[in-house]
Amino acid sequence: MNGGSVTVLLGFTQAIALTMSVAFLVYVYVIIVPYLRHRPAPPGDPSRFEWHFLVPCRDEELVVGPTIRYLRTTFPQAHVWVIDDDSDDRTSYVVEGLRYGHGEQSRYIHLVRRTRPQARTGKGDALNAAYREMKAWIGRHSDLTRQILVVVDADGRPAANCLSACAGDGLFGDPTVGAVQIDVRMSNRDTPPPRRTGWRRWLGSTLVRMQDLEFRTAIAAIQKSRGYTGTISMGGNGQFARLSALDSIAGATGTPWRGSLLEDFELGVHLLTEGWRTGFTMDTHVDQEGLYDLRRFLVQRTRWGQGTMQCARYVRRIWDSKHLSTLGAAEMLYYLAQPWMQLLGTLVYPIPFVLLAGRTVTSPGWVWQWFTGGAWVLFAVYGSFGILPFVIWGPIYWWKCERKGSFLRALGYGAGYAAYIYTFYITSWRAVFRLARGRNGWAKTRRNAEVTDGVIALDH
Amino acid sequence: MTATNVAARPSSALPRMLTAALIALAMLLVVAHRAYQTVEISLAGLLLHVFTSSGVYVVAGQQTVYFGLGSTHPLGLTMTPECTSAFLLIPLVLVSAVLVTLRPAIATRVLGSLALAALILIVVNQLRIMTLAALVGWLGTDRGYYWGHTMIGSLVSVFGGAIALVLFVWLATRRSRVERRNERRERA
Repeated sequence: MNGGSVTVLLGFTQAIALTMSVAFLVYVYVIIVPYLRHRPAPPGDPSRFEWHFLVPCRDEELVVGPTIRYLRTTFPQAHVWVIDDDSDDRTSYVVEGLRYGHGEQSRYIHLVRRTRPQARTGKGDALNAAYREMKAWIGRHSDLTRQILVVVDADGRPAANCLSACAGDGLFGDPTVGAVQIDVRMSNRDTPPPRRTGWRRWLGSTLVRMQDLEFRTAIAAIQKSRGYTGTISMGGNGQFARLSALDSIAGATGTPWRGSLLEDFELGVHLLTEGWRTGFTMDTHVDQEGLYDLRRFLVQRTRWGQGTMQCARYVRRIWDSKHLSTLGAAEMLYYLAQPWMQLLGTLVYPIPFVLLAGRTVTSPGWVWQWFTGGAWVLFAVYGSFGILPFVIWGPIYWWKCERKGSFLRALGYGAGYAAYIYTFYITSWRAVFRLARGRNGWAKTRRNAEVTDGVIALDH
Repeated sequence: MTATNVAARPSSALPRMLTAALIALAMLLVVAHRAYQTVEISLAGLLLHVFTSSGVYVVAGQQTVYFGLGSTHPLGLTMTPECTSAFLLIPLVLVSAVLVTLRPAIATRVLGSLALAALILIVVNQLRIMTLAALVGWLGTDRGYYWGHTMIGSLVSVFGGAIALVLFVWLATRRSRVERRNERRERA
């Protein structure tokens, strides 16, 4: 490569990097404002609806019992549907034990059994099975607009006010709202990992703290801003959906949830393009266990990244929908493009540094003079732009969510989050390799309580 | 909640041609970046003529402008691929191509937004050169160039880029008055 080509490549990559950085800075500013302006909405009357918790389980004997007990105690009026996806452990025994706990069958606890080869084909299929069984149980003459399904992880703990918060006038109180996502928190954010000491204990705690920070600030802010674009998306835990809305997208096969690894986002796409509105609330939350283990975390995020990549097939559907504004479609396109932009970033961002390193080898004196002659300012400016949009969530988290310790701790959270976010560059590459090799299976991340022999995900 | 959820798609080949033209424009900006830089530096020369009292001389073939001639701080600036606005336009042109492909109905709006954003980027790059010239005249060659080219120049680029980007997205994606009225009716 001659000098001219190098300069052109440098100019081009600088322009791309600058555009992406500026776009991201603007995006972060745009999502922070509605997040900071959030005011709680008045709650609604939950008795206007019938509530059904759906708990998909695959080898969850360790956590499902306490979850059912919690749901039945906290929401006595709600039904709990446990979907046993042909577990190898005693999940179904635990459920049956609770179902017949007092000698008679509880009419509020239901077990949906799935068996191989139909079972273990993905979370979406498991939810669809429960949806069909539930519909048959409810009967044809029930008012489907009043039936609300709530997807909860096997270790999920929805807050006690979640039904009243979701019944509010701005959420299910509005008949055009088909689904609502609630805020997600990590239940173990203040609990250090058991069986770990020293730096591994610190790393585990920090990883969980970062997951809590991510969900309660950055993701919540993104969701809040989506209220303006009309594109609030669904998550895998704390996902509320109106049965009539699910019916409208279920088709003849009775499958409102589809087959991608990001079946929650996919559900949102189908609802939005069908004309339903979706909602998000920070007035309530669901607690789930954050992952202490970096490898398990990377597996989980790889699955999410791969799921996002798979959902690229919906780009045409999104843009063709008359129900989505151009801004909304652009927002969804931006979301779907993120793993691909991360891949592009890993290719583009290092180029100026590689070229600089080459120049340093050939002309160290010139590079030193260039650096001390003002280029350091550029490094400082662009370095700040690369890190500040992530660091800022640390103080916001400290201020709005967990006001413990000094402001230094807030800055530490921010620095940790900036480092945490760079793991996405790894997971995006892992996801694209899995995609290229046709490995589209459901890699269910193992829970903290599961002590394993090195296998950290269950694929099929 | 209706069965028809797909917006009507214009059958004309025009959007496809427009997309091809935009992609061609992006490629042209790469291939002919030197010619673009020549135009850019000539424009800078004209503006420097207007805004400075000392001598200005443009060597178009080398994409260089000399200013402050006859003063105590003469300086020559070369428009390099790192400094040109040509490459900053490329992402916007490509995004426009994507928008026109995905929603042909907004093609006119996208082209208008692109034209405005491009104009802002070009003006901002000229502003950067003018700022540099002003700082050289005020602080002297070394300090003026140091602050003008690095700190202030970068900030001008970033803020200019942000303004161009925000305007581009806002204008390209906002609903027309008719669409807003229809939506209000639908909700009512």
